[in-house]
Amino acid sequence: MRPLAPPLTLSENILGYLSFLNRALKANFAYKASTVLGLFTAALTYGITVLVWNHVYDQKGSSLNVTRQEMFAYLAMAFCLNYALTINIDQRVGQRIRLGLIATDLLKPLDFQMTQAFQALSDCIFNGFIALGIMAVAFSALGRQAFPKSPEAFGFFLASFFLAFIIQYSIVFFFIQGAFYTYSGYGIFASRIAVHHTLSGLQAPLTLYPPILRSIGAWLPFQHVVFTPITLYTGRAEGAQAWHLLGEQALWAAGFYLLGNLVMRKALKQLEIQGG
Amino acid sequence: MKNFDIYWATFKASLQAKLEYKLDFALGLLTSSMLQLAALGFLWVIFHQTSNLQGWTQAEVIFLFGLTAMSLGASELFFNHIWMVPYYIVMGDLDRLLVYPVRSLPFLLISRPELHSFGNLLTGLALTAGSLWTLHMPWQDWVLVPVWVLCGSVIYTSALVVFCSFSFKFVGPYGYTLMIPHTLLQASRYPLSIYPAWVHYGLLFLVPYGVFNYLPGNWVFGKMLFSAGAFLTPLVAVVCAAVAERVWNWGLKHYQSTGS
Repeated sequence: MRPLAPPLTLSENILGYLSFLNRALKANFAYKASTVLGLFTAALTYGITVLVWNHVYDQKGSSLNVTRQEMFAYLAMAFCLNYALTINIDQRVGQRIRLGLIATDLLKPLDFQMTQAFQALSDCIFNGFIALGIMAVAFSALGRQAFPKSPEAFGFFLASFFLAFIIQYSIVFFFIQGAFYTYSGYGIFASRIAVHHTLSGLQAPLTLYPPILRSIGAWLPFQHVVFTPITLYTGRAEGAQAWHLLGEQALWAAGFYLLGNLVMRKALKQLEIQGG
Repeated sequence: MKNFDIYWATFKASLQAKLEYKLDFALGLLTSSMLQLAALGFLWVIFHQTSNLQGWTQAEVIFLFGLTAMSLGASELFFNHIWMVPYYIVMGDLDRLLVYPVRSLPFLLISRPELHSFGNLLTGLALTAGSLWTLHMPWQDWVLVPVWVLCGSVIYTSALVVFCSFSFKFVGPYGYTLMIPHTLLQASRYPLSIYPAWVHYGLLFLVPYGVFNYLPGNWVFGKMLFSAGAFLTPLVAVVCAAVAERVWNWGLKHYQSTGS
């Protein structure tokens, strides 16, 4: 089964995607209780990481490469960034594939991958506003450590955040394709989360990682979702180094977006939808 | 005895049905192991910075990781269906279960084994065995591991049932409530003594996960602190199961079918 070629003009296409974004945002607002519980669970998970690090600092004092203040500012930033970039399209698409509803998505005169990107953007905008609220609390608690190093660093961070979103979305979309081949998408989604948690720098700056783990991470895109944006935000990479990091992010974003498209075309060729 | 046969036949049939999806089985095995290894990755980062956590060495903490992973795996294998209940309540799908001539909670729990449980069980087994082997622990410790795992799965499932039962009273898309006891389980992989007192005692007495890994760990590694508590694990498991069934029955009284 193939998606129909979009017969719409460019402006109609854009309006279609924006309409999709608008509806997806409204859907996010409709599930307030789920949002609150999801946020609580995410905070609880992250609280464990914070408490473990807190104990390590109590035990080791100032002998670590990163000061306690820097570490907690990093962890607060990583939590907010990760929360803002939490995209739920894998669960949604996985369920639609299982129920056969994916057929109606493919019949729409809009590009499926781009439509899902706007759906993901709605998640990012919604979660991003919540993350900003948490950051505001972190600013008041952590003081200067939580602020960007300079206006230039903040500019680099914004560009990096945008690219991080595309990378994150493209990785999620790539993994979704596995749901076309399996009965339950759990394995596919869980494997992405496992690698993301380990190699994105979500639980600690990658500079504290054992060399082997850091080397593995350097060959994969996950560090560019959390660690790179924070590196730019805190001004640990400036000037040419910052541009270099943005270039790497752009390459990963473009590469994974195209890879996702290729894999989707192959997956759709073997898709069978039952029923009538 | 007759009831037990019904439960066992249901479990076997459900497991056989799941095993038909061979790719899912392989992926589930792989990915649940990956999730455990991801958690281990963080432990590796921590022990790259420090040699111990409140006196617990890396091998000793890995023992806690192993027991937790196996308890989780056993719960996913034997009692996994609880995760679907919030969805069934919203859809009114619980009616079918309630007309069966069996006790609703145990029958529900065993009727949907999850394939990725094998990944957690195997990874947990490898971690626990690796830890005990490395530390040259005596045979008694090896023998007690299955008891702690079984009790652990009962205690963890009981916590899930209690949290889930609130879904009967507060109907809505609240499947996330089950993530709270699940997340707390992740906390119990570390020695509880590294946490502030309220978390430490909360995980010993309120949501007693520490009873099936932290206390046994204390006993196995001779850390003295509450070490005799390791032998209370079966008793705590029985109490937790009884509490869970009472709360479940309370919840069922508030169940309203959708009428469709």
